[in-house]
Amino acid sequence: MAAFIIRRIFWTIPVILLVIFMIFMMMRQIEGNPFRRTERAVPPQVQANLERKFNLDKPVYMQYLLYVKGVFTLDLGPSLILRDRTVTDIVKEHFPRSLKLGLLAFIWAVLFGIPAGVIAALRPNSIYDYMLMFFSSIGFALPSFFIATLFIYYFALKVNAFPTNGWPLGFWDVDSRVVLPSLALGLFPMAYFARLVRGTMLETMQQDYVRTARAKGLRWRSIVTRHVFRNSLIPVVTATAPLFGLIITGTFVIEVIFSIPGIGRYFVSSVSNRDYSVVMGITVLTSLIVIILNLFVDIAYGFLDPRTRTSRT
Amino acid sequence: MAVNPRQATTLQPQTAAPPLAETAGAPIRQSSLWRDAYRRYLRNKGAVASAVVFLIIVLYCLFIPGFWFIPGIWTTLFDIDPNQVNFAEARLPPSFEHPFGTDQFGRDLFTRVAKGGQVSIGIGFAATIAILLIGVTYGSISGFVGGTLDNAMMRFLDALYGLPYLPFAILALAIIGTVNFWTMVLALTIASWFTAARIVRGQVISLKENDYVRAAHAVGARWHRVLTRHLLPNTLGVLIIATFLELPAVVLGEAFLSFIGLGINPPDPSWGSLASEARQGYRTHPLDLWIPCLFIAALVLCANFIADGLRDALDPRTRET
Amino acid sequence: MQRNRWLLLVMALVAVLSLAAVGCGGDDDDDDAAADETGATDTSAQEPAAEQTLRIAWGAEPPSLDPGKATDTTSANVISALMDPLVKLNPDTLEPEPSLAESWTEEGPIVTFKLREDATWTNGDPVTAQDFVYSWKRTLSPELAADYAYQLYGVKGAAEYNGCEADCDALADEVGVTAVDDYTLQVELTSEQPWFLGQVSHHSFLPVHQATVEQFGDNWTDPENIVTNGAFMLESWDHEASINMVKNPDWRDADSVSLERIDGSIIVDGITRVQAFEAGEVDALDGAGLPPEEIERLKSEPYYEQYPALGTYYYGFNTANIGEEQRKAMSLAINRKIITDEIDRTGRSQATGMTPEGVKGFEVINPNSPWLPAEGDMTQAQELMSQAADAKTNINLFHNDSPGHKEIAVAVQSMWSELGIETTIKAQEWAQYLEFLGPPPNKAVDVYRLGWIYDFPDAINGLELFTCDSGNNNTNWCNEEYDALVEEARATVEDEARYEIYRQLEGIMFDEAGEVPFSPIMWYTYPNLEQDSIRDTFFINPLDQIDFTKVVVQGG
Repeated sequence: MAAFIIRRIFWTIPVILLVIFMIFMMMRQIEGNPFRRTERAVPPQVQANLERKFNLDKPVYMQYLLYVKGVFTLDLGPSLILRDRTVTDIVKEHFPRSLKLGLLAFIWAVLFGIPAGVIAALRPNSIYDYMLMFFSSIGFALPSFFIATLFIYYFALKVNAFPTNGWPLGFWDVDSRVVLPSLALGLFPMAYFARLVRGTMLETMQQDYVRTARAKGLRWRSIVTRHVFRNSLIPVVTATAPLFGLIITGTFVIEVIFSIPGIGRYFVSSVSNRDYSVVMGITVLTSLIVIILNLFVDIAYGFLDPRTRTSRT
Repeated sequence: MAVNPRQATTLQPQTAAPPLAETAGAPIRQSSLWRDAYRRYLRNKGAVASAVVFLIIVLYCLFIPGFWFIPGIWTTLFDIDPNQVNFAEARLPPSFEHPFGTDQFGRDLFTRVAKGGQVSIGIGFAATIAILLIGVTYGSISGFVGGTLDNAMMRFLDALYGLPYLPFAILALAIIGTVNFWTMVLALTIASWFTAARIVRGQVISLKENDYVRAAHAVGARWHRVLTRHLLPNTLGVLIIATFLELPAVVLGEAFLSFIGLGINPPDPSWGSLASEARQGYRTHPLDLWIPCLFIAALVLCANFIADGLRDALDPRTRET
Repeated sequence: MQRNRWLLLVMALVAVLSLAAVGCGGDDDDDDAAADETGATDTSAQEPAAEQTLRIAWGAEPPSLDPGKATDTTSANVISALMDPLVKLNPDTLEPEPSLAESWTEEGPIVTFKLREDATWTNGDPVTAQDFVYSWKRTLSPELAADYAYQLYGVKGAAEYNGCEADCDALADEVGVTAVDDYTLQVELTSEQPWFLGQVSHHSFLPVHQATVEQFGDNWTDPENIVTNGAFMLESWDHEASINMVKNPDWRDADSVSLERIDGSIIVDGITRVQAFEAGEVDALDGAGLPPEEIERLKSEPYYEQYPALGTYYYGFNTANIGEEQRKAMSLAINRKIITDEIDRTGRSQATGMTPEGVKGFEVINPNSPWLPAEGDMTQAQELMSQAADAKTNINLFHNDSPGHKEIAVAVQSMWSELGIETTIKAQEWAQYLEFLGPPPNKAVDVYRLGWIYDFPDAINGLELFTCDSGNNNTNWCNEEYDALVEEARATVEDEARYEIYRQLEGIMFDEAGEVPFSPIMWYTYPNLEQDSIRDTFFINPLDQIDFTKVVVQGG
């Protein structure tokens, strides 16, 4: 088991390097001068000074290596546009807010999506099933900016139950402002989980071994908890990593609509501003998170499904 | 031709009429995988309804405003140009000529939503097909060659599985510079192909291990025959299903990018840009926002139901209740 | 299973459609509902409220609170609340009034300011003339690379120092600003400039505290470090989230300031801002712009306010790509009335020249250009277009992606299509946009959208943009006669004579024989939303400045 884990971790490193390289090369292709802030052109020697300051005058491979070194020492370089702040500062300040939003959305999804799916699977074709499938279809199919707009309109304007915007800034602070945004973001994964759990549980329940267990006379409840549910979890766990990645990047829309000062909003404006450092920093960060989550998922797989431990090289 | 195990378990439909003299000795009408799947699909009312709705939407998008050299029904009937600005007709309520009313520039929404659908669905299909082509190529090479190359390629994909597509799509668009139909397709393809390729590759691998493939080898069939006669037709089913599963993701992705501001340039509409523009005025004109969003939702739902139906139809084992 | 799936789909569609119906039915109630929703403020009580807190929504995160580095209006407004300018502009007449400077004298190109002696920094140090000398030279220093350094070029030696490449310290000493004594500031201008006193109210001329800047460098504006001298102090700044200020009890005129707190939330999205206001969560917006679609509805609300502004919205031509005849034709084809009345709808007026109404001497300066008819002149436009040699029929129109520009571009696109011109509209984010415009503009640019908000109420501020060397002239248009006249205007002290020169400048561009390097569309207004509690005292002046010392929160 330990060997398995070590092997997986070992393989992650070249992947991380490769991802950083891809992002790095992509960023280099974008045209535009990041130092230009107003209508006035940047005087050539100011331009040269700034380029020197940000290592942009070195050859490309040097920049790449310096950057990689920076990533591993948690120094992502200074922002090219907001010259008073470094990328690490920006990320440290804004990323936790997006992370909190994403986590809350994920919690909604797990707390409501999975049980809903389980109930629907246990009572197929009942009224619960219909209602569930109906609501999950809505959450799944409507674009999140639409859902967010509706939420604000009905729950914050028409009925003054929640504030229309804003976000508590401390990581552990929670107030009424977190409800609508996290719910709007969490609706899609909630629906996704519900449908996934329902589908896999129904499929599992048709397996031969479940039939055998029933034939043997085991209580339905224990069959469900010990066999059906546990085995249905596997696809759910697999889906967690990409889903979380989707959530983290999907925060952008929610952040704009609810005026949440997170990293998503920053990301898009940084792309337009040609703020190379910030864009790379954020993309690398989110990619790293997904890659590491994948790693955990794989390891968790090893625990959940014994077959994978031996068959994987 | 090797025996397909699926064929072995399905029933052979009978021709109703008794064999006449002329047809005596004619082969009995055989059922194929496709015919069976078709029949099974038709029994699933939900999937059929979805397919019908999907078809209606596609037809609406194609024929109301017209495409290529084919003139549109609505545009010729009422002489409407979906991009023509005409302030005298701004903000008209729904009428026969304008079933969805007009927008603030006086443009008919009925044709604009249809035109937008052409763009959104078009991008969806194009990107999906591109993603699948890449996935198939990747999967075929990897699965077929096997060994260390396969290992390396597999590692690569596994690790990149689920990489957030939005940043990559945005970066890709920023690199390309302009935003139009094909650059959107390109950007969305670049951003999403990892995940799809992994799935397809998995399919190719599992099919490769199947007994009938071994049997074919044993009989002496060459690799390209195995590929074209056995692997690809069976993968086709999975591919079609994957198309209908990937399509909603791409359509929603396009809506997202339009909302961020990286959408198709005006005045050409797409569902995403129609929705994001409509949000600006949703307090006074909610219909403008609801309609494109409902269309997106309808498309996503139908595609999902169709995919479910296809999956059930093509793989009988899961259907046993 | 099949029947259920089908039922499911039907149910889904039905329910969603009924929700849609509910959504549609909702908008009839909007006008009433909106009025009910505007928080708990009432018009009745006219006495100041017990709690004097102003909640304002800023439309953007201020890139910098350093007067030397700030270029946008949000930064400017926050900085102006935190700092004390030498002069302030009277809100009605836009004439300079004493602020930190008690009085001043003008003798030719020498302006001497007498500073108040009771002004202090928040750390107790007195505000002296040396502070101004240090600050202005700092803004001009090549190391700071301040974008607005050119504002100070009216001062003798400023341009040279700012553009210096080596041995700059010597040039720094040559800059014409000196502290005669602790409270007397002497400024030597390059020539007599009647507008200089108004210009000094601009935030680029604000002082900074030398010791703080030297100690903390780029971080001196952090709330823990910042030292200011104005009516308010910076309490907290959470980037992209909020900026909060509190009253400075030690300010020289603290007794006259009513507000105790200014809580500023940073809300970038226009719709979200309006929603926040209508839910009663903020008391005022900052005039940064309302979503055009909402204006129609908001205009009939009691909390809607509209301020005249000194600013011009124009479409610039790349004169290297588009010939004069075509430019005139394109300018004629634009129906400005439709743009102001149907699209923008904030009561802006159609432009008939560059210099907007409200600038001193407007009646003399305005050329009432035949190329800028309010409703356009399509017939003449088409005629001119057909006569144009080398007409370019496939053009790119660029604009930045703030709200409102796209709609106007779409309208103009259809107007130009009647001239046989096919327009491709390209939206870009601000920084990239400016890069594209140069000068000189990227070859792909044929037409671009820009606006200019005046820094001080004199026409020279707008007219000097179009000289050959101006960093704000993105048209590739260069006219020596124009440049010469601008110089002459700068040297002309007497107002009436100067206005005549301005008229000639406008004429070179917009008279019958004018060259029309760009086409002004409309003159700005600032539409804003303000709750009853502050409406009487909250005010945005034509230069987009807000004076927080005058705001009083009413209501019991």
